[in-house]
Amino acid sequence: MDEIKWGLIGPLLALQALLAVIGLISLGKAERTRGPKWLWVIILIFGNLLGSVAYFTVGRKDN
Amino acid sequence: MRNMWTLYHKEMLESLRSYKLIWVPVVFIILGIMQPLTTYYMPEILKASGNVPPGMLEGYEMPGSAVVMAQALGQYGTIGMLILVLGVMNSLAGERSSGTVEMLMAKPVAPAAIVSAKWAAQLTVLVMALGLGAAGAAYYTEQLMGPLSWSNLAAAAGLYGLWLLCAVSLTLLFSAWLRGPAAAFLGLLAAAAMSLAHSLLPSQLGWTPASLTAMSAEMMTEGGGFAWGPVLFAGILIVACVAAASLLIRRNQLPE
Repeated sequence: MDEIKWGLIGPLLALQALLAVIGLISLGKAERTRGPKWLWVIILIFGNLLGSVAYFTVGRKDN
Repeated sequence: MRNMWTLYHKEMLESLRSYKLIWVPVVFIILGIMQPLTTYYMPEILKASGNVPPGMLEGYEMPGSAVVMAQALGQYGTIGMLILVLGVMNSLAGERSSGTVEMLMAKPVAPAAIVSAKWAAQLTVLVMALGLGAAGAAYYTEQLMGPLSWSNLAAAAGLYGLWLLCAVSLTLLFSAWLRGPAAAFLGLLAAAAMSLAHSLLPSQLGWTPASLTAMSAEMMTEGGGFAWGPVLFAGILIVACVAAASLLIRRNQLPE
């Protein structure tokens, strides 16, 4: 691979980061989660797209 | 009607507070732009993964923009549908905890108003997510592969959205008498069963809503192939789901 075109990949990374940040904000506000909170922090930060989706769909208890 | 508007407003406020109005569209955009990106970088990805037989990459031909766009829409049939269905599964079943029941006790509200308001809120999320996702995918496809027909794209995205709306409406119906996870499971199962039956007997079951996905792909790649049957039956299915859910909802019979 000669060089990475950041103009192409950048928006994708930005969107994934946005998703993780929204997840972390929501996690900070949440009173109860399924499973320990620190685990969700790890999943949100390192879990990429699927980690964030997992948190938003099954991680939250209230709502 | 005013009740319904108020309830719809409450639903939208709730999906904003739970960030659903943001995260679902963002996930759809990511899914959408990933398809043209991975297609574009496929030779590099294959090279990086090693052990590619020599000469194989010379034969690699970049698929046309319309084909890639149709594949991008196809992405929404799996993870996209799962997300939407998981989002709707608790909408009626979870009402006991979220306080609508008290509102119902205090004020006479028709069950149909509750169900339609919830359905309309889900539709709003779906349209936003699919619209933004398809736009993102189309933008990347245009940049990387070449021009697209935007009228074909609009028609294809609309047909795909109708199929997703069928799954959402079915799950809404199931959530009127089952707990959330069971409703989601049944909703996905019903959609999968419809697709399977359609792929086994495509000529006999061409009128079912399951053929909307194939129709959408054909609309995108060839610009034709529209048929009223599946659209009509999808409409009937959706209306029937909303009506049946309204009938099932009685003041004290909401599942926990």
